[in-house]
Amino acid sequence: MDKNYAKLGEFTTLELMAVCGARAIKNGEVVFVGTGLPMIAAMLAKRTHAPNAKIVYEAGFIDSNAIDIALSIADSRLGYRASAAIGLIETLGLLLQGGHVDVGFVGAAQIDEYGNINTTYIGDFENPTVRLPGSGGGNDIVSSAKRIVIIMTHEKRKMVKKLDYLTSPGFLDGPKAREKAGLLGGGPSLVVTNLCQMDFDPETKRIRLATIHPGVTLQQILDNIGFDLIVPENVPTTEPPTYEELVILRAIDPHGIYIPRQG
Amino acid sequence: MVEAPIEDKRITLKEAAKLIPDGAHLFWGGFGFQRPPMAFAHELVRQKKRNLTVYTCGSEIDIDILSGAYVVSRFELAFFAIEGIGLAPNIQRRIREGAIQIEDYTNLAMALRFLGGALGVPFMPLKSMLGTDLIAKTKFRPKKAEVITCPFTGEKVVLVPSVRPDFSIVHVSRVDREGNAQIDGIKGEDVEGARAGKKVIVLAEEIVDTEFIRSQPDQTAIPNIYVNYVVECPWGAYPMMVYNYYDYDMEHVRMYYQQCKTEEGWQKYCEEYITGVEDHMEFLKKIGMERLLKLRAKKPFPY
Repeated sequence: MDKNYAKLGEFTTLELMAVCGARAIKNGEVVFVGTGLPMIAAMLAKRTHAPNAKIVYEAGFIDSNAIDIALSIADSRLGYRASAAIGLIETLGLLLQGGHVDVGFVGAAQIDEYGNINTTYIGDFENPTVRLPGSGGGNDIVSSAKRIVIIMTHEKRKMVKKLDYLTSPGFLDGPKAREKAGLLGGGPSLVVTNLCQMDFDPETKRIRLATIHPGVTLQQILDNIGFDLIVPENVPTTEPPTYEELVILRAIDPHGIYIPRQG
Repeated sequence: MVEAPIEDKRITLKEAAKLIPDGAHLFWGGFGFQRPPMAFAHELVRQKKRNLTVYTCGSEIDIDILSGAYVVSRFELAFFAIEGIGLAPNIQRRIREGAIQIEDYTNLAMALRFLGGALGVPFMPLKSMLGTDLIAKTKFRPKKAEVITCPFTGEKVVLVPSVRPDFSIVHVSRVDREGNAQIDGIKGEDVEGARAGKKVIVLAEEIVDTEFIRSQPDQTAIPNIYVNYVVECPWGAYPMMVYNYYDYDMEHVRMYYQQCKTEEGWQKYCEEYITGVEDHMEFLKKIGMERLLKLRAKKPFPY
């Protein structure tokens, strides 16, 4: 079947980001998500190419089939037609650390070129400018899931040479560092931003440009990043959302709680 | 045959809060928007408790209120915010003032620390936190976590200290007079946390007959052996949610968030909804029965 792609201007950046997130999920995978865009992405994947994906929320909801948008990771909405409602030791301990989680989605206030993540402090540890929410289950997920998708906005102050605080481990200081530290999971595999998608160079474990969103220039990406980005010779344009994906996506979040309507 | 008398552990919310001395260490139950002991937080504020240390995985308005009113001076936790809305406003201010300190762990680390306390072992091993500032940086604990080489396999493992707080405070779906508690929906870290405390106070949406519990013992999350006190506390998590009982009141949550961005706004909220009302029932009357009933869970949905 030919794919019927939406044209530039027919979708919002957040819609494209949700679609990118959804496409990172394979059918049948066990997916660990939080609220916000990752939840929308996982719901979209289940309604399109990955109906057998199993969505786990750390509060204890397992194989959730929520039909309403949840505001909290412990939201009762996530219990609708779930296969189980247990607790944190079940989800973060037995399922995740036990090696059953294929892909975990996390956000980040800052990342560095090895995909290390800060969600705890902005500014000095003793005298912070902003005290952020902290790890929650973020460090657990990034430590132990087989691969990690990071969804965040593309800004110079967020993509930094040195983190103010290292909350969750990317590739730490380079190749073999995760193994040396004793970490179980595979580390970050994809970063989805409002400008592009980035992956990680298998040799150096440094962040690398993968696709550029439609309508975005390479210069825009480079102007909004605080570290040296690996730019391969030929970088494709991000596959736009299909009309089918957009229709389903808009039905998932009809009131625009996480993806506000355009205009 | 001798019939065992049913032990009655019921006390009032006021009596329960009176049990907590200044400086006590508490396990704080509920997770995110689900079953926070909100009414208990209000009562601690009314009774002007001070200098408490609170252990929890992730909490929201409940611990923001405890911070705003200077009830808590130290937290050991993994997460605080008002999810889907923003940062916890009072906690931000109290950190800036130096009135509260936070020792950071992960959700799994905290849950395991409670399990360790409940098991009576001094620490628990896990595979999170490795290679990060969660191990490298500490606020007030002389020793926060330790990386060791496993004596059996040679792999690296993190040890985190178990927690045995003075009291565990949990808000559950239903309980009988003896303290057999059932929790609908997710349990968060409450199963382990309730077993970690030296004394356990169970607050519940409703008190049910012991025979009801004993007709479905597989549904019991916390057996009476662990429980010292039982408090009947309907709508005790409002404005947050209780699975199968009621939804959150987002209008109130948003109002709280907006108003508490300033110290004056918080003081006004505290006076209007907490210190200015006699007790939990007066608080509920102030919110209004009509408003509460609209939040009742509507089958087949648990919200």
